Amino acid sequence: MALVSSARESLPHAMNNRVLPNLEYLLQGSILESAAEHLMHRLKGLCDNVDTSPEPFHDMEVCMSLQQPNSNQPLLLRVRRALGRDAPFQIRYLGQPEVDQRRPTLVRSCMDCACSNGILEFLTEMGFRKEFEYIAKGYMFRKGRMKITVSKLIKIVPGKQQDMANEPISQSYIVELSVVAPMGQENVGEEMRVFAEQLKPLVQLEKIDYKRLGSMP
Amino acid sequence: MGVTVLQAYPMPENKSGAHIIDYLSKRLLSLGATHAGQFLVDCETFISTPQPHNGTPGRAVHVLHNSEYPASTFSIIDSGTGKQVSLVADSIFDLLMLKMTNTFTSKKQTKIESRGARFEYGDFVIKLGSVTMMEHFKGILIEIEYKSCMILAYCWEMIREMLQGFLNINVGKDFPSYFAPQTIMTAMGQQQMHAKHNDMYEPTDTVKQYLEQFTNYRKHVSMHGSVSGGIQGGLGGQQQQPVHMSPAPVMGAAGGFGLIRP
Repeated sequence: MALVSSARESLPHAMNNRVLPNLEYLLQGSILESAAEHLMHRLKGLCDNVDTSPEPFHDMEVCMSLQQPNSNQPLLLRVRRALGRDAPFQIRYLGQPEVDQRRPTLVRSCMDCACSNGILEFLTEMGFRKEFEYIAKGYMFRKGRMKITVSKLIKIVPGKQQDMANEPISQSYIVELSVVAPMGQENVGEEMRVFAEQLKPLVQLEKIDYKRLGSMP
Repeated sequence: MGVTVLQAYPMPENKSGAHIIDYLSKRLLSLGATHAGQFLVDCETFISTPQPHNGTPGRAVHVLHNSEYPASTFSIIDSGTGKQVSLVADSIFDLLMLKMTNTFTSKKQTKIESRGARFEYGDFVIKLGSVTMMEHFKGILIEIEYKSCMILAYCWEMIREMLQGFLNINVGKDFPSYFAPQTIMTAMGQQQMHAKHNDMYEPTDTVKQYLEQFTNYRKHVSMHGSVSGGIQGGLGGQQQQPVHMSPAPVMGAAGGFGLIRP
């Protein structure tokens, strides 16, 4: 009779086989609202699910930080929740970007975890503090394992619950091209670079060097 | 899934755990239950160091797994002030906990688990678990689930009869202590009595009952520190300390449970 094992035992196994943690490959860019329509048309043509309209999303993200002793980098966890749709909360851990300059995209380790809706209270009890929050509203496209989002970032005005009361951070849309894949898949970056080339006339998708942006969390 | 009641089996003197498990299994099988696999519930506790300069008390995060829900990790945080918050997450949450080892250190010597055989009889699932902490046998926990009902008040009598008839355990008429009425704070900040036995049962409730029992077993060790202190002291050179738990193991005083139900 096979003995049952706990998740605690299967995790080291997954890590040894490099199934976990995943890596996120990311390219980012922005486009003016006036030109966003063109980009959406282009994406509809290039991406999968051509028959269906792009999938809309409306998410709220709260970034929580935990000051760690013996480390000057706080631990950041992003909690995401779909507004107007019943879905589990998601927490995401993002590691420091890799320093390898030759890679065509930003690469960082990434862990996604669905959880029940007490997560914010849970993290607060653990000692996490809210760092920032925003709402992202836009559309998601897929091409193979690539995910392309075109969304507007909305600032949350404290004290105002209504969505209408919140103001967009800018008139531009943020465009993100990302893939989450297990380690050791070197061709992902190249695949993304080729796809980004095809969008070049409309939007310049770049590998953002977060270190140059200063002490942004 | 249905209502589940967890019961510690009173250990008679001069009988080994294996002997009792054997006796109970034989009894179940001869009364018509069928053997249906194994199960495992484990618990690991992470402790944060108190930071008196900013008034942060020491907190304990209990991380539990239940083989009945193999893709989930259950965690319960004890804030040190009696407040508990629980969370159900994907099992990758264990990796996230490892990211916090600077703040939350695992109390390896209090890793505790209940493991054993699983039996089915009609709508009932019966699990006979031997509890071990650091490979030391601690006791026997009997889990009994009635799959057709989600509210304890409607099926307690049946579960009780099952415990008494099948397993020969004497059980009082009252609801188990985990389901006892407790004071909760309402959203308006008022205190209110809450009858837990009328609530919809959730998988978290099973895990919380295990934590309650595990806490009792661990307390037992810290009271009789000399029993295992010598062994553990030799392993890591660490001092055996009582595990930080909320002052009241039984929910009555701790309260707040009704609040955190999702």
